[in-house]
Amino acid sequence: MSKTILEMRNITKFIFDSFGHAVRGSNVRILDSVDFDVKEAEVHVLIGENGAGKSTLMKVLGGIIPQDGGIMKLDGAEVCFSGPRESLHHGIGFIHQELNLCLNLDVAENIYLGRELGGKLFTNKTEMYSRASTMLARLGFDIDPHTLVSELSTAQQQIVEIVKVLSYDCRIIIMDEPTASLTSNEIDKLFQIIKDLQKQGISIIYISHRFEELKEIGDRITVLRDGKYVGTVPIEEFEYDKIINMMVGRKLGAMFQSQHTPLEETILEISGMKIATHTDPIDLSVKKGEVVGLSGLVGAGRTELAKSIFGSRTYYGGKIIYDGKEIGHQHPAELISKGLVYLSEDRKLEGLVLEMSIASNITLASLPRMYPTTKIQRQRERKVASESVNSLNIVSNSLNQLCNTLSGGNQQKVVLAKWLLTKPKLLILDEPTRGIDVNAKGEIYKIIDRLASEGVGILMISSELPEIIGMSDRIYVMRNGTISAHLTDRKDFIQEKILSYTLG
Amino acid sequence: MKPAKIKKKYVVYTLITVIFLIVSTFIPGFLSVRNILNIIRQSSIIAICACGMTMVIIIKGIDLSVTGVLSFCAMVNGLLLLQGWPIPIAMLAGLLVGTLLGIFNGFMVDRLGIPAFITTLVVGNVGGGLALLLNSGRSIGGFPNAYVFMGNGTFLGIPVSNYIMALFVVVSSIIMAKTRLGVYIYAMGGNETVVKQQGISTTAINFFVYGFSGFCIAMAGILLSGQLDTVHPTQGEPYQLDAIAACVIGGVSMLGGEGKIYYSLIGALIIGVQRNILNLLGIHPFYQNIFIGIIIIVIVAVNIYKKNRAIELSKVF
Amino acid sequence: MGTTDNYALKTESFSIGSFLRQFVKTKGSVVIFIILWILASLFVQNFFSLNNMLLIIKQAAIPMIACLGITVVLMTGGIDLSLGYTLGLCSISVGIFVKSMGLPIWISIFLTLCIGLLVGLFNGILVQYVKVPAFITTLGSGYIIFGLAQIISSGSDINRLPAAFRAIGVTEFAGLNTTVFIAFGICLIMYYLLHLSTFGRALSAFGYNNKTARMSGIRTERINVLAYMISSFLVAIAAILLTIRVNCAQPTMGGGIYTFEVITGAIIGGASLFGGVGTVIGSVFGILIVKVIENCINLMNVSYYTYQAFQGIVILLAIIFENVKNRKL
Repeated sequence: MSKTILEMRNITKFIFDSFGHAVRGSNVRILDSVDFDVKEAEVHVLIGENGAGKSTLMKVLGGIIPQDGGIMKLDGAEVCFSGPRESLHHGIGFIHQELNLCLNLDVAENIYLGRELGGKLFTNKTEMYSRASTMLARLGFDIDPHTLVSELSTAQQQIVEIVKVLSYDCRIIIMDEPTASLTSNEIDKLFQIIKDLQKQGISIIYISHRFEELKEIGDRITVLRDGKYVGTVPIEEFEYDKIINMMVGRKLGAMFQSQHTPLEETILEISGMKIATHTDPIDLSVKKGEVVGLSGLVGAGRTELAKSIFGSRTYYGGKIIYDGKEIGHQHPAELISKGLVYLSEDRKLEGLVLEMSIASNITLASLPRMYPTTKIQRQRERKVASESVNSLNIVSNSLNQLCNTLSGGNQQKVVLAKWLLTKPKLLILDEPTRGIDVNAKGEIYKIIDRLASEGVGILMISSELPEIIGMSDRIYVMRNGTISAHLTDRKDFIQEKILSYTLG
Repeated sequence: MKPAKIKKKYVVYTLITVIFLIVSTFIPGFLSVRNILNIIRQSSIIAICACGMTMVIIIKGIDLSVTGVLSFCAMVNGLLLLQGWPIPIAMLAGLLVGTLLGIFNGFMVDRLGIPAFITTLVVGNVGGGLALLLNSGRSIGGFPNAYVFMGNGTFLGIPVSNYIMALFVVVSSIIMAKTRLGVYIYAMGGNETVVKQQGISTTAINFFVYGFSGFCIAMAGILLSGQLDTVHPTQGEPYQLDAIAACVIGGVSMLGGEGKIYYSLIGALIIGVQRNILNLLGIHPFYQNIFIGIIIIVIVAVNIYKKNRAIELSKVF
Repeated sequence: MGTTDNYALKTESFSIGSFLRQFVKTKGSVVIFIILWILASLFVQNFFSLNNMLLIIKQAAIPMIACLGITVVLMTGGIDLSLGYTLGLCSISVGIFVKSMGLPIWISIFLTLCIGLLVGLFNGILVQYVKVPAFITTLGSGYIIFGLAQIISSGSDINRLPAAFRAIGVTEFAGLNTTVFIAFGICLIMYYLLHLSTFGRALSAFGYNNKTARMSGIRTERINVLAYMISSFLVAIAAILLTIRVNCAQPTMGGGIYTFEVITGAIIGGASLFGGVGTVIGSVFGILIVKVIENCINLMNVSYYTYQAFQGIVILLAIIFENVKNRKL
């Protein structure tokens, strides 16, 4: 019962920059020599903050991405997966968080996709429906296999996903946040399934943040932090504070010395705003010259909040008051002209036009202002762009260099330069230092601080606790689409405390 | 089944019945067996094209090569017939040409990643050009009786064309509903990533779907030349939009993943009926073009709007 | 402060090699045109004469105007398949205004241009706000427009247009005619619009990445609709000039074949089907290439049908070439 069937040793994964080269630097390893093992018939819980590396580790196990270092052993024999199908072949099933289903097919067709029952040419649909029915019933779920997946609720879709994976012959099943959309009734059924699987000798790797659940079904808990393996704790030794500490107990190191002081005036005031019809209202404010941190898990709604303010997304009810005037559902162009700008999470998809040059990208949000006669003045553009490049220390060959050839850090600086050029009064940053090397991070922190000392209000969304603690004057924590905590006293900026508000 | 779906079907059926009743009071002979069979015979060309087009649209593609390929295959077939080739061989040649052009479309879309609309548009143009080239722009006619029988003759009182159409519809439906390939075609229109994940070859699916579409178009062209006893190098023109309209009316979604061959058949028949009625009423074909153009845009617009709303509503937040 | 000092003073590295490489990459159609021209001059009888050159320019002038229009649409990542049919509608419209209704020339032209704008507005709104894919929208609208053209003309052409009206396009001038100069003027305007103005920059950004463009404050909704309006407006101009040239207003003018030829010119000229890429010079030379080929076909007495059949192959090669060139991984 305690035989180790899976061993992962020294698994390392680097971030790749735009050139396709592994960036070797101390902070840009998504996984840094991680050890992880799974015993037969155990439920092994894997936890960590956003960006701790749990998904990446599982992607390596699931054959979705290859590791850059380290080895994997199944039953003592070394394995290396060339793709997800090979991993499945070796008995590793993966139930993802995002659904891998065809919404236009029915339940049975989804379960059997690629391995339909029947002869060489024709499928035996009756048999498929009947077996799918049996499977669902045996697991205790009342779903008609004839139903189109698009007509199922999210929870039911998740169940179909689970059933699909279970129908393969797996020895290890990875479950990534399986209970995210399930009702407590369904969660009970799921746990019963997990216990049955254990009895059959199957192991489960369970990724979740919900501590109450972990205590109920976990056998061991492994904690990752910043891509490193922190430790493994048997469930009997589970203590809330101990685990929290393992998740965030990093030395905060040289704290960033902020030079700015918030002013009295408010630049942004949100009251009663809902990002969805079913979430709770949000109240939030940012003063001029202040850095306000917004913490929370992925999926808590932080980006949705930012985009709702910025006019890329609808919101429901409530008021947004910017610079003394109420704004609502305006086009980004209008907001930018008023000094409200948003640096989005995904710089490649929403921040840059990769096929255009550095200079073009930097001036992209300032076109009407810079060229009021609509004629582009090349001299002016060169001057402005090179000033930005100099002041932000962007490393490149020329101003005409295309942005898709820049490194991550430099790309982010170009986006930042674009926004700085618009002389914003409120700057919303969404994960501004994600995937960037240490030096560039430091530079960006200095820029943010300088902006604040010039009176710009800054709302900074970040999943990195040290960053938020170091930079913010106040911190809001979001959970389930609304604010769950508001820390105003720097003394309260403790990683463990913030994390527990995040997890709720 | 959801209530909304049931309602839509019944609404359409009642509408059709009502229209038929109204028309038959104004136009004597409209509801006669002979006229109905005739309508079906004329619609069979569209219906056969629609079989292939349905599959293509389901995998989020489009086939704009109908005009050219139809004319070209008919021309190849016709020229061979006039040179004395046996009917089955000549037909086979025409079908082969169409299928190969279709497979070429599939190749361009799948392997080279070129958007379907431009690939098929170009191939269609080349086909049309070749149709003109082969006989220097002249029409041909005077085919063997057996061949014309295929287009205009009847068997057991029903036009042969209708049998051929029925064959295509039935075979296509069986493929879509009862074979693995059918499931994969729908799946590919639904979520191509998952299909690839399961190890299914999307290349094979593309090759088949576009190749089959080419095959259907070729058959349609051959059948048309049998019905008219001529091949005119540009006879394929009206059928391009009619084939797409038949699918759109039949509920095939431009966003992919949805559609049934039987409904596209009904769409084809509706178009055939509409043309028939308007002709009998003396309304110029040009008005029909406008009507069909508007219908296509309206149905697609509504469909896309509904789908986008559904996606919006299904988001967590 | 790192290695980026003195950017304003630093001159970029310049070498003949890198300049040529850059030129070929972006202005491939100019290179192809030159090669084609040299080959034709050497191997095709009667090609290399002043008269023939002028003829080619005169023949290229009108499609060039439409080509510049479709280039704008292609840069948004869309397509306008109703181009050829809009040509017919505008042609017969101007004929009706000027001859059948006897309206003053400039009023007729103004109204016809308005028709062009309306067609573009219709297409643009459907593509941008109703989100119907461009190829379906313009396929359907093309059909509708074709029907409309036939209906308002009762299927027949209008011949023998007023001389004063014709004078606008047909007046000869240094071996060329006013049509060519109008086309040249339009090229200059489009050059400004696409390459020197903020509109062109915004258009390109929108075509490459509409999300980024919108979130950078570009009014992408307006640009998308405007693109189709510009295209149809230019088609209207082309229609008027072509009607003048053949002295006949035809509802069937243009059609699918014309659409195809104009798109071919744009794609040979380097416009990308995926958006973001398009140049005035590229499209101008793209059309010139098409017309040179057509000219050679005529001079060599090759059947026009052969040409039509293989026109498709040319565009296919151009697309494949573009695709292969742009494959970045």
